[in-house]
Amino acid sequence: MAFYTLGLTFNLVILLTVIVLAVWIYGIYFNFKKWGLGSTGYHDQLRNSFWLFIATWIHEAFKDGVWVFIRTIVLDVFLLRRTLARSPVRWVMHMSMFYGFLTLAALSGLGLMIDIVEHFNLLGLAEQAEIAKEALSLPFDIFGYLLLIGATIAVSRRILLKFVRDNTSAYDAFLIGAVFLITITGFYAEWLRGNAFLVGNAFEYPLYAPHFALIHTVLALGLFAFVLPWTKYIHVIATPMTLMANRGGE
Amino acid sequence: MADEKKESKPLMTGYLMSTQLLEIDGCNRCQECMKWCPTFAVRPDRPGITPMYKNAKWRELLAKNHSLRAKIFGGKPLNEDEMKLFTEDVYYCTTCGVCGTVCEAGIKTVELWEAMRPNLVDRGNGPYGKQAFFPKLVRADRNPYQGKQEDRLCWVPKDAKVEESGEIVYFAGCTAAYRQQALGVATVRILNKLDVDFAMLGKEEWCCASAMVRTGQREVMAECAVHNVDALKDAGAKTVLFACAGCIRNSTLDWPRWYEGYIPYKNVPLSVFLRDKLRKGEVEYKIPLNYTVTYHDPCHNGRHLLHEIGRDWAFEASRECLESIPGLKFVDMVRNRELQRCCGAGGGVKAGIPDLALDMAKARVMDGEEVHADVIASTCPFCRRNIMDGRNDAKSSIKVLDVVELMAASMGLDMTIPENPYTKYQEQDVLVCGPEVCKVETIERKAPGKDLVGEAH
Repeated sequence: MAFYTLGLTFNLVILLTVIVLAVWIYGIYFNFKKWGLGSTGYHDQLRNSFWLFIATWIHEAFKDGVWVFIRTIVLDVFLLRRTLARSPVRWVMHMSMFYGFLTLAALSGLGLMIDIVEHFNLLGLAEQAEIAKEALSLPFDIFGYLLLIGATIAVSRRILLKFVRDNTSAYDAFLIGAVFLITITGFYAEWLRGNAFLVGNAFEYPLYAPHFALIHTVLALGLFAFVLPWTKYIHVIATPMTLMANRGGE
Repeated sequence: MADEKKESKPLMTGYLMSTQLLEIDGCNRCQECMKWCPTFAVRPDRPGITPMYKNAKWRELLAKNHSLRAKIFGGKPLNEDEMKLFTEDVYYCTTCGVCGTVCEAGIKTVELWEAMRPNLVDRGNGPYGKQAFFPKLVRADRNPYQGKQEDRLCWVPKDAKVEESGEIVYFAGCTAAYRQQALGVATVRILNKLDVDFAMLGKEEWCCASAMVRTGQREVMAECAVHNVDALKDAGAKTVLFACAGCIRNSTLDWPRWYEGYIPYKNVPLSVFLRDKLRKGEVEYKIPLNYTVTYHDPCHNGRHLLHEIGRDWAFEASRECLESIPGLKFVDMVRNRELQRCCGAGGGVKAGIPDLALDMAKARVMDGEEVHADVIASTCPFCRRNIMDGRNDAKSSIKVLDVVELMAASMGLDMTIPENPYTKYQEQDVLVCGPEVCKVETIERKAPGKDLVGEAH
């Protein structure tokens, strides 16, 4: 299979995926435990408990009932209402990145499942899996472009707007740069394969397509498991959780 | 020696709820808070005082002992210089809460800063400047002005009718009792005029302890909260009226956290109570006030109470009261309601960092001048004090009054403050009315020297 290059095999990729997921899950556990250092109520004693963090979060998130919780998820988490209220441009940026990333991650997971079905010919569905994989290429392209739009707005804001630029830290630059790089390498890998969405064969060079795909995958998984849970980029998880715990905020 | 002890002491996560530790990581550095922060607006060279940077710094300090690196290689002691700067950053904040209003991550910032500060106090870094006097003064005198408790009602006119108990209780607060008695007199006169039977607690009224909670010194809080709630219950209160934004904020949000029993009464801003009377047609005006008046929304009964009492009570009632006054032209400042600009008095800043409070007040006075207002009206004695200071420093001609005083003046009520032991400490703009016209005069403070702590919350 052309995808596996530079000595990578299917089994090795599965092993690496398991390791990446394990690191990510441990990272999330680590953060939950850190948040659990706090108390469960105002002026209460410290608990230092992973489970009590979860209990406190559930208590806070459902304090005003299930409907408020659902409303918060829909309006504040999925539709980013608070961002829209402050800046429509930033809202477009966040929505593009949020849904671009989320869908690409989901599609990647689905792609891996299909790969497994194809590899082991589970239920004799190898051929259908191959067809299904082909069908995924269009949504991959669409959501890839969506992410690219968001990442481009983010980079442009940091470069063009003085106030934003002045208050951009190395952390911000790294995150936005990494997202931009991951998106671009993903596209480039796709374009190198030829017959790509919107650009056709303009960049066709199939020999190096797997190499770029590998670079893209390593960068994406690296950011996902080895950077995100261990740095301030945990906000990707913490922000929606905060919105839910605070029932949408002030 | 003391420094060595501090060095080896980790930054505690005490007083922070686990969901607040989550909030610190929830900051996505969108920079929105920086655009609205009123302290950063007057100290643009100090981005560290903005919420985004404070969160980042707290996270960094926490990571010294609670990161993966710390778990593997052991924690690091906190650098005392770094802690000193961080303490300054945390206390260079009026806890006005506009950052929470605009925060995209929905972080409840006021609660977060108020949970960070006690950690710094416990560690020996906080409070800041003269804020340290608050608990000592309140513990000794039950008010921050070193006034006598038996003098709480010394300003009440002899012919005014005030009960000792009743279903409606007016909680005046320390500032109206000792420093801005014109507000107290106007309130009592209006309530009498409207035939409202009401009581006051007198010497049983203790400081609401707002300044202490805001500055991270919670130790006196329980005592004050429990005493005041019990005193109000003993007086038979069902409705408690407040003409002080700091007191009603504390009574509504903070006291219930410290009081374990049932609280049978409802806290009502005086402007809401008067607006209801207006709507019933019970208020009768006699003298037109030919001023252009703008309204400064106090943070404490605006943004802080918005989710408890609703927009109408928080923002609209006071405006409706002002708009009802004949001759008065009402105009809003550009920044109003939940996006208003803090006057700079809150969060202990007036006592701890007076120059910062003054610069913020000047910025608010400029907001008033921008809309050509003659008077900035408010419902908070602390905002009034600070905006007056800003006005004086900026040499502006704007006058600063309370909504209740404007109404009382237009109703033709006698607002003369009886001579009392605190007359010499009065320093405020007052309305002096003849039979047909009122004018604003400024009472200069007669006693030299300043209060140990400024009129602050």
